[in-house]
Amino acid sequence: MDWEHLDLDPQVTVALNKANIQSAGDILTYSVVDLQRITHLSIPDVHHLQKAAAVALQMGKKAITALQLYRDKNSFPSQHQKLSLGCSILNNFLQGGIPMVGITELAGESSAGKTQIALQLCLSVQYAAEYGGLGAGAVYICTEDAFPSKRLQQLIKSQHKLRSDVPTDIIRSIRFGDSIYIEHAADIDMLTDCITKKLPILLRRGQIRLIIIDSIAALFRCEFTGKDAALKAKHLQSLGAKLHHLSTSFTAPVFCINQVTDTMKDTDSVLNHLGLQDKKVQPALGISWSNQLLMRLMVSRTPMMAPPPHAGGILRIMEVIFAPHIPRSTCYYTVDLEGVKGIGASQEPFAQ
Amino acid sequence: MQREVGSCPLAPSVRSRLIAAGFHTVQDVVEVTASELAREAGISEDSAVKVLQILRPENQRGSSTAQKHTALALLEEEQAQASIITFCSALDESLGGGVPLSKVTEICGPPGVGKTHLCMQLAVDVQIPECFGGVDGETMYIDTENSLLVERLVDVANACVLHCSLITQAHQQDDQKIAMQRFTLNHILSHIHYVNCHSYAELLAQMLVLPDFIAQHSKIKLVIIDSIAFPFRHSFDDLSLRTRLLNMLAQQLIHIANQHKLAIVLTNQMTTRIGSSESLLVPALGESWGHAATNRIILHWERLQRFAALYKAPNQKDVTVQFEITHKGFRDVQAVEPETSSSKSEINPRKRPREHDKEYQP
Repeated sequence: MDWEHLDLDPQVTVALNKANIQSAGDILTYSVVDLQRITHLSIPDVHHLQKAAAVALQMGKKAITALQLYRDKNSFPSQHQKLSLGCSILNNFLQGGIPMVGITELAGESSAGKTQIALQLCLSVQYAAEYGGLGAGAVYICTEDAFPSKRLQQLIKSQHKLRSDVPTDIIRSIRFGDSIYIEHAADIDMLTDCITKKLPILLRRGQIRLIIIDSIAALFRCEFTGKDAALKAKHLQSLGAKLHHLSTSFTAPVFCINQVTDTMKDTDSVLNHLGLQDKKVQPALGISWSNQLLMRLMVSRTPMMAPPPHAGGILRIMEVIFAPHIPRSTCYYTVDLEGVKGIGASQEPFAQ
Repeated sequence: MQREVGSCPLAPSVRSRLIAAGFHTVQDVVEVTASELAREAGISEDSAVKVLQILRPENQRGSSTAQKHTALALLEEEQAQASIITFCSALDESLGGGVPLSKVTEICGPPGVGKTHLCMQLAVDVQIPECFGGVDGETMYIDTENSLLVERLVDVANACVLHCSLITQAHQQDDQKIAMQRFTLNHILSHIHYVNCHSYAELLAQMLVLPDFIAQHSKIKLVIIDSIAFPFRHSFDDLSLRTRLLNMLAQQLIHIANQHKLAIVLTNQMTTRIGSSESLLVPALGESWGHAATNRIILHWERLQRFAALYKAPNQKDVTVQFEITHKGFRDVQAVEPETSSSKSEINPRKRPREHDKEYQP
């Protein structure tokens, strides 16, 4: 590192070069006594050096007040904007939609409608901000199944029916299919490669603002056996950190689909710890993955049919398990030809 | 004054020259001028000036750094210090009045149990004016996970303002009325200083500049790091480096808390420890980190209720209390009454009673 631009005594710069210390980050990893031993500087000089390195690392970042976060909507979009799900009832349920920064997980058993929700997000992200989108495409990383392109085309064709709030000519002007980038990752190395190399390029060009992984569990559940639990946890943590980093640097939501596992005992300790005691299933991958999440949603099917306006669909439930801004709550929804639709309180099927 | 030059924080080369020239004690050095010292010891004038700068204030400070306190004085000081209430009276009571100043408190728990929530609640509560029994301070909020959502903070702050204004109406005291004119949502938000750190290096850098920031904003009475675990739980192949950095950080935190008489609140994640018979959830970051905090609170679920357990506290009993998170923030669990549950569902129409869900679970 070039020490010139730090506010340092030339003597200190010489000492640093002699001690072969490369970056400001390295300085912070040494204690005062260590630094003094390595650089042969006096203690006040070392204190000064540490402060200078700390200031350099912060790159002019200043503390802001929460009032600025609250008022200045343009500078802090992540605090004020959310990604719409393309359905006003579900948006209301999630207080606007998917948060802009952080990892949102959608867990549920197979055929609960997880992929449908993910596909709908791929489309709604492409609308302009006034219609709840981010004006950019999405990347869809498949790990378990082929990408359901036929269903995607079906959804694109019926967008004008689903999004009656958006003028038809705007819908027609968006070429939905062109901005969805599909990646297949067959193992963890491919997934890591995709996240660290391909995604930053697409994000930097502004071509995408949404990352979807369908599903995160498939790779981790097949590659590791029980005794590799520690290694698996390490991989999950570093994957979570990478996704988190992308999400914060580009203000792009990350949406991960997760599988569920059956719970073996009534008094399963993990379930108990996550507050999922009332559930028959729990999200896969354990606590090391749960720690990476901002918000966890769970979906499931019910054996009932949706009420009249949505006749023919199966009634499904979406539940917020945890989120910093939403209490634990549930909402009904259904999936039909046009897409995923929430069922509002007024239409709820309280049969008895 | 009899301190040896060899023990002073000087550059080793300078130190050896001084000793070689016969300057054995600090007294010997400070009695001469800079130019004399340079000539005698064969060092440059610049470094001679520096040596004197270092040694002279050291001499003056010498007596004050080793201040002695009697245990009685310390007890009085500690008893005079206010604590930050959490709005959950059961937890406050178990902590001896709330989150203590001059101490490091760690909050651990699985995701979604309410760690960030408790942090937001404390960030607001520390600002309660003194006439309401608060500490009238400001907050430094260091966010490493980007999990602070202002909309939620606004709810908590509004509930706190409402709470204080209800007290004012009930008591009709003049000092409280005056305090309430100032104590508004904007006032609260503008006294929460927010900074985010995306890596452990940024967090360490923040710790180094924090004392300066506190010196500029002397009303800061609470520093929150949410969470300490996230930046340290990935990208470390060398676990001994991690342990060393964490220990360094812990020392810095304890020092800041003591020197500025402020409370430091950290959140930590949980991890699974696989035991011989069963696996347990324990706080992350390892065994040595367990010594960092003075108080350790573990939040956990039991069935569908949330509990806070005081896991480590030097002067309190280990107890477990129940709490809940409402739209107003972190609160005591209310006794179940039909009226409260119906009024709650009015305020939050999405939160439906659980009985309905059960109908659909065969």
